[in-house]
Parts: sequence; C-alpha cells; structure tokens
Amino acid sequence: MSTRTRVVLSIAASTMMLAALSISVLGQAGAVGRPGGLAGVDGEAKSTAPAGPVPRRSDGHPDLTGTFNGSPGGVTHTVILEEHPGGFGVLGGQSLILDPADGIIPYQPWALTERNRRREDANGYEDQVGHCEFYDIGRIHSFTQEYMFSGNNFIIHATQHITRIVPMDRRDHLPPGIRLWLGDPIGHWEGDTLVVDSTNFNDKPRMSLGGDFHGADAHIVERFQMLDANTIKWTMTIDNPKMFTRPWTMTSPALMKRLKPVPDFDVEDTCHEGNVDLVHLKNTYEKAHGPGWPPKPVR
Amino acid sequence: MRHRVTTWLMAAAAVAAVAHSYSPALTAQTPPRGRPDLQGVWRAWNLAKYDLEDHGAKPGVPAGRGFVVDPADGRIPYRPEALAKREKNYAGTKDPDPWKNSDPLVKCYLPGTPRMTYLGWPFQIIQTPEYVYFVYEWGHKKRVIPIGSKTPPPTDETAWMGMARGHYEGNSLVVNLTNFNSYTWFDMAGNYHSDALQVVERYTPINADTLQYEATMTDAKVFTRPWTIRMTIQRQKDIGLLDYECTAMLDELGIHHTWPRDFDVDH
Repeated sequence: MSTRTRVVLSIAASTMMLAALSISVLGQAGAVGRPGGLAGVDGEAKSTAPAGPVPRRSDGHPDLTGTFNGSPGGVTHTVILEEHPGGFGVLGGQSLILDPADGIIPYQPWALTERNRRREDANGYEDQVGHCEFYDIGRIHSFTQEYMFSGNNFIIHATQHITRIVPMDRRDHLPPGIRLWLGDPIGHWEGDTLVVDSTNFNDKPRMSLGGDFHGADAHIVERFQMLDANTIKWTMTIDNPKMFTRPWTMTSPALMKRLKPVPDFDVEDTCHEGNVDLVHLKNTYEKAHGPGWPPKPVR
Repeated sequence: MRHRVTTWLMAAAAVAAVAHSYSPALTAQTPPRGRPDLQGVWRAWNLAKYDLEDHGAKPGVPAGRGFVVDPADGRIPYRPEALAKREKNYAGTKDPDPWKNSDPLVKCYLPGTPRMTYLGWPFQIIQTPEYVYFVYEWGHKKRVIPIGSKTPPPTDETAWMGMARGHYEGNSLVVNLTNFNSYTWFDMAGNYHSDALQVVERYTPINADTLQYEATMTDAKVFTRPWTIRMTIQRQKDIGLLDYECTAMLDELGIHHTWPRDFDVDH
C-alpha cells in the first residue's frame, strides 16, 4: 500500500467517524480522564535510553538535537487547550494554561465569542487542518518534532509540512508588512534555555481544533528547557492586547520526551493530494450556512 | 456554556499524530567535514519553470533559451507517440478553472523533482552527516535525502517527489531518485514523464554564491534516451525562507479542495 493510499484511508476513516456521531463536551466538570499538562507524562512517548545529564554543544549550550514528542499518548489538547472531559476519541485533560492560574485563556469578550463560534460543529469545515494547511506553532507540540542546529539556525521539523528555521544571530524582526503563518522567529539563549521570540503573524492560524486563535498582532515567546538528556520542557507566552486581557502562558500536553529515531525514513506530506473526503465536511458546513466560502474574516 | 466538538476534528488529529510520528534521526552537528558545504538559502532565477526547451513568447511567458544540454539539439527526446500527450497537456493549461486545468501545480499538488528546484521560490539546504534536507518555501515542502544509505527504497511505494538516496562525489552532492508516480510535470509547457522515471540530481558549488544544478531524466516509456538539464542557482542573501501556503490560497479564492482525485483509481 502506498503512502498516498494510507493517507486517503486515514482521512476516509475520520470522515466516517464524523458521519457516525458527534459528541458534546460540557464546559462544567465532567468525567475528567487522564490528566494532561505537565502532570501527564505516562503515555506512549517513552524515552529510549536512561536519562543522562543534559548534552552540550561545543559552545557549552544544551544540545537539543533529536526527535521529541509532547503527547501523553493520545489525542488531547489539539482539540481543547483548557480543562476538558474525555469523549469519543479524545482523552480528557487538565488545562494546558499555566498562567493565569485558573487555566482559562483570558480572551476579551469579542474574541471569546468568536472562539466559541469556531467551535460549533457546523463551522468545523473552517479549520485549516482539515484542508491540509498549517498547524500553528503551539499545536505541533502535541506531535513529534525533530530538532537540529545548522549554521546559526535552530531548526524545528514538525507535522504537516512545517519546518521552522530559527536564526540565532538576528536582532530585528522583519518589517511589519511581511506576515507569515508561523511568524518570524528569532532565537537566543537565556542561560540554558533556548528562547524563541516570534512576531509578524498573519491572522489565519488556529491554536486548536476547538477554535482558539492568537491573532496577527501576537507577540509569542517560547522557551525550550532541557531537563535531562531525554526531556524538554516547552512553554509559550502569548501577548496580544487586541485579543486578550493579559499575556498568558501554555505548555505541551506532556513534557517533550525523546523518541527512538527511524533510519532512512522520509514521509512525503501528501495530505492535500489525497484529501478526497473533505467534501463531507463541506456538506455539513453548507447544510448550516448555505453555499459560500470563504467565511467573512473576523478581526 | 455548552461547547460542541465534532469527532472529525479529533480523528483528524489522530491521523496526524500517527502519520507523522516518525522521522529520521540527527545526532551530529553541522557542517560536515570534507564535503561541499551547500547550506543556505538558494533560488533559481531563470525561465525554466515556463519551458525547459527553447521557446517563443506565449501569453505571460517571455521567450527564452532552454536548459537541455544533452541531447545537443536542446530538445527533450520524446518517443514519437509520446509527443501528442505533451501537446494535450499544454492545451489544457489554458483553462482558468483549477478543477479543469491540466497542470497539476494549479491544484497545488507537489510539483515533483526536478520541477520544484526551478519553480522560482527559494529553498534552504541543511546538511548533517547522515542526511541532506531540502526545505522549500513553496508549500513549505521538504525532502529528506539519506546519505550513503545501504537500504534501497521500498518497492511498493511511490512518491510525488521521488524517493531519494544521496551520496557525495568529489565536490558534488548526487541524489538518485526512483519510485515516482506519473502525475507530475517538468514545466508549464506540459513536458511530462511516466512512473518509470528515474532522476539523478547533481548539486555542485562553483563559487561561494552559486550552485550548478544538473538533472538527468531516464524514462523508457516516454523518452528514447536519457536527457540532461543544467542551470545555475543563486544564493539568496537578503532574507530567509518565508511562506507560500498554496492550498490556503486556493481556499481564499473560494476554491474548495473537494474535487475528485482521479489518480486515486488508476493505480
């Protein structure tokens, strides 16, 4: 079976599940399953060797090179970032929001209304991932990533044709007229922590399948901290006064754990080429809204 | 407040988690010793994307020289019976409806190799001792080339960009590509190949800011003999890779991605 065929079958399977049922996730406390956040690290992302001390590059800084995964072993927070009960196909989880302490994203009222609109069943077609487009820079931390250094760049390879090339030797961000899906990242070291500062976003990425978004004017600071040879703690602080009442910080569903690499393996991303079942999501969308695409942007 | 979440979203995430849960290892730093340093951002500033052969002006296309250096006449050595399909391909590119346009690139499908190289968007080369990464601004696509691999590509898999095995020859990176499907083209003029295509790419630095790029195509179903293109590729210094999310642009044009994929049934 070819790679392409497998992708087609996978998407077909997901659509069949859509046709079968949709579930309600209640905002109030439900049967919370395995915890997410930094509490839940007991999943399948097992390390491949006893954790030793943090490896170092020749310049003395931690060497993050390797393959890491921040999932606790199931689908959790790509759906909802805040605390949520489990449901069909989704593990329940604690909030990924470390700050504020209540674990709730501090949206301004208009932004919360828009987030909730995006979360409706009938609007699921709007989410870019079903169209095989970019994840946002936080969403990829629920999946496998590969870190490396090349020249003065820190490189992040991730799901869905994402490669982030983070220059460690630049001072200024791009001019504001250049807007990018993944923003313009600039890296630097703060002690042993690799800090990535990003601006110049466009207004398209969604932070979760549940409709969270950070807006084009977000200033995002990520911190990659090696705790031992096989573990990286990642956090992301988002500031956008046009959307949020205060800056807030989130982390990955689990600590990023080192995975055993697979030699000579190249997965070609053919999600779009094999995306034959998107029509079913479109039908759901049009049943609710009538024909019309794309939806009017909300600023 | 009651939030509803559809299962397709979760399933899509599960698919992504499974489909992308493996990737090659990197254990060493760069650049590698004793090998040409190809790292950096590169861009082919030429007319190859329009037509690999000598050509006159066409709507939106400047006239210009071709890039075929072998055979010496600069013509792609099509088998006589294979030429009609090229003409049909080109005729189909005039349809403004992406659903009907014959060029697979119009639907944002992977451009194939070598077309991706001279598509006109920049790409970045990253070298490690075990792999060479090509990261393309167009669609943020990526190729991973194992260096000196002892394992041949699988016999039952095909790929739009081909499956790669690389090695160094003197000052050149040589990439052998097999396992192509038959859906990609070489340029906007409709030049094409079959699933019997094999490509050998050769990247050679000729000064600090210039690569020489050669690609030799062999496909007995379509061509009477192997043929080779050659061009230079320039280093891009003013800015790094940005993004060109082709599929999202289709969305913004109001073009749904829901057309039937006819290639899913003919193989």
